[in-house]
Amino acid sequence: MEPYISVKNVSHKYPNGVTAIKDINLDIHEGEVVAILGSNGSGKTTLVKHFNGLLKPTKGEITVGTMNTKKERISKLSSQVGYVFQNPNHQTFLPSVRQELAYGCKNLKMVDEDIETRVQKAIDLFQLEDRLDDNPFDLNSSQRKEVAMASIMAVSPKVIVLDEPTTGQDHKGCKRVLELVRMFKREGHIVVLITHDMHLIGELNCRTVVMNQSEKIADDHASVVFSNKGIMEEAGLQPPQITQFANQITRFDETKTYLTVESIIEWMKANKEEDVKVGTGS
Amino acid sequence: MNSLYMPKDSLIHSLDPRTKMLFVVFVVASSFILNDPALQLVFLVALFPLVVMAKVVKPYLISIQFLLLFAVLIMTVHGIYNPIGVTPVFEIFGGLTFKYESMVYASVMSFRILVIGTAAVLFVMTTHPSDMASALVKWKVPHSFAFILLSTFQIIPIIAREAKIVMEAQQARCLDVKGSLIQRVKNLVPMFAPLFIITFMKVHQLSYVLECRAFSRKGEKTSLRETKIGSLDYTFLLGMLGVLAFEIYLKLFMMGSLHLTTDALLTYSLFGTWIVFGFMIIKFVVKQFQGKIGGAN
Repeated sequence: MEPYISVKNVSHKYPNGVTAIKDINLDIHEGEVVAILGSNGSGKTTLVKHFNGLLKPTKGEITVGTMNTKKERISKLSSQVGYVFQNPNHQTFLPSVRQELAYGCKNLKMVDEDIETRVQKAIDLFQLEDRLDDNPFDLNSSQRKEVAMASIMAVSPKVIVLDEPTTGQDHKGCKRVLELVRMFKREGHIVVLITHDMHLIGELNCRTVVMNQSEKIADDHASVVFSNKGIMEEAGLQPPQITQFANQITRFDETKTYLTVESIIEWMKANKEEDVKVGTGS
Repeated sequence: MNSLYMPKDSLIHSLDPRTKMLFVVFVVASSFILNDPALQLVFLVALFPLVVMAKVVKPYLISIQFLLLFAVLIMTVHGIYNPIGVTPVFEIFGGLTFKYESMVYASVMSFRILVIGTAAVLFVMTTHPSDMASALVKWKVPHSFAFILLSTFQIIPIIAREAKIVMEAQQARCLDVKGSLIQRVKNLVPMFAPLFIITFMKVHQLSYVLECRAFSRKGEKTSLRETKIGSLDYTFLLGMLGVLAFEIYLKLFMMGSLHLTTDALLTYSLFGTWIVFGFMIIKFVVKQFQGKIGGAN
């Protein structure tokens, strides 16, 4: 199958001479959820900013769908690659949630009925019925983030890029992000996540790309990456606590990497451990 | 610290900010006393060794480019169209004639901009913003006012950075920033609305942070960076006074017998700015071209 996003030997050098990414190769296929991990300054954001053309590669080539990002306008690429910024305040500015949702579609000069159906779909998916007339700035930060995501989603791009979606969110907000990512996947979108939230990746159990010092050092399933001590240490990452715990207890299956509490409970139930009470897992 | 300040070890850097502020005032005054293109040119050239001494030649030349744009515009447009001109100097194609009086006027204007610009750039690049604030406080400027000046220096780069992010964030919402002129004017709303809101939020936050650190406490404050006027400052100040006295002497007694401003000088300085401007355009075009063919480096 042809990859939807294809990154070929891409390097990016900023005008100040800093090389932020070096010789990256990456294929992202339809329906995939890809998490990009790495310490601050490792080039994660630089990489994903290439997907919607905010940055153009100084070497190599990126194809999104059938478009070469070097030749297309950002506004056109953005209709295919939705980018949710870390701080919703950078993106939202209209006085009501409804206008905010319609804004992207209006920029694409869609006809009114089309906008209406798309906005309605976003409202349904994000359950925003009660907040339509609220000013986004009156909402709390996780709600505002949701509005920002919904407004990107209203354009219904093929790819959704989330830049640190759980940073600064409370437990409820994090759980909601997890739900939303699953929902995006169900709706057939490709999701690209930049995050430091190992718990989130563990729960998603998705493909994980690790960046370190401008280079891609790993690209595999989360369970494989998390069990590779060398890579984790090199990138300065720590697997989720439950994974660390399971790695130190010998009676668990050593060939497997446990990413979630549920997976451990399942193992215990399967092995008839007596002290497991179903339903108190999380 | 995110400002234009260039930390270097030089004589100019070690001067007290107050001396340098007086220096800027002195240069502004001089540029008005020396109301003659030739003398101003001499003055401009005389300032250059200070730039070299401060070791900021390259950043100075980069920032002075923008002022040169003004100079080119003023010298060309005024030289041809200013109605005070009567004596033709030379003609370019299409019957457009540069006239002596208007060229003098234009040269005085543009050299003044360059001279004052040089002094200002020299001051900003060699003075740590905090030093400036503490020097102002020593001059009995209210502490909060000094802080306003200081924070302006700091907030401009912050706003510039935020503006870039907002721009990207709006483009990610399918905003076409390369549209027609009308479209671009319309785009100012999605650009500036978030920018204003974010800036207000930041300033609001800053006020809390300041209060948490006892900013509005009454009474004396100490400064982490102490500034002191030393013998170097006195020498510099004396030098400035000397030059100022000489300028006034020139102005009062010598103006009648000095005729340094000739047609040739005016023409050459006009051509000079054109040539430098031409280089800037060539450099710009080459850069654009390199960008188009996809980064040759």
